[in-house]
Amino acid sequence: MDFLDVFSVSASGLTAQRVRLQAVASNMANARSTRTEDGQGPYQRKLTVFQSESLNFDDELGAAMERVHVTDVVASQEPATLVYDPGHPDADEDGYVAYPNVNILEEMVDMMTTSRMYEANTNVVRTTRQLADTALSIGR
Amino acid sequence: MSAYLFDRLHNGLGQVLDLRYAQHGLAASNIANAATPGFRARYIPFDKVLSQAVGRGEAVGMQRTDSRHFLAPGEDPARPEIDEIEPAPWQVDGNSVDPDKEVVRLTENAVMYDAVSTGLSQRIAMLRYAANNGVGA
Repeated sequence: MDFLDVFSVSASGLTAQRVRLQAVASNMANARSTRTEDGQGPYQRKLTVFQSESLNFDDELGAAMERVHVTDVVASQEPATLVYDPGHPDADEDGYVAYPNVNILEEMVDMMTTSRMYEANTNVVRTTRQLADTALSIGR
Repeated sequence: MSAYLFDRLHNGLGQVLDLRYAQHGLAASNIANAATPGFRARYIPFDKVLSQAVGRGEAVGMQRTDSRHFLAPGEDPARPEIDEIEPAPWQVDGNSVDPDKEVVRLTENAVMYDAVSTGLSQRIAMLRYAANNGVGA
């Protein structure tokens, strides 16, 4: 295990958080989209699935350190929000319009969490850099 | 001759430095996986491990009479003892990482890494001073 492995672990964390932020941005932008391109109904909230994977070394320590990667971006299966609005072009035969299953407050909280985690990972990169500099200056 | 130049304390410091670096790697991994379901936070329990690292010259721990005998966990510097944290009841996705705790662990560890490497540098400076017959450093 060397410093490059620690950087790759942190880089994977940064990438994963960025993908999650993109999903949040997509959800917030489409919170009122009653139609999608494929015509299958309203926009569905996007969720990211994270999975960890070992660095795959022979020693215990290498096996204990894990990268993270986003395995899938899935659509939430929660039911759409129905709002009674018979005048709306997308109203069904009962007069209900199906709005996306996106809760703006949840998305805001996700955004704040993602942003904090991104900061924590950049903190790790900075600290790793400091450790490397310290190690290089032993005996100098 | 190297036993005089690099005594047990010097080698012990080197091993502690390796352990501190390993702790850094584990903390980095914990922070990267703070949102991964089912992930357990891992760390090296320094209060248990330090006494083993520095006192390795003495006959404590498992006796080995053959080089093929296994080392106990924590006795081999390349295989430090690693503890896992169980998730708290409110961590419903099975992830036991507390990001704030990990960042603090990371920072504290970086300070200790700095301290140990300063200690190593000072010992090397002493050796250099002696090698130069007491002239300069």
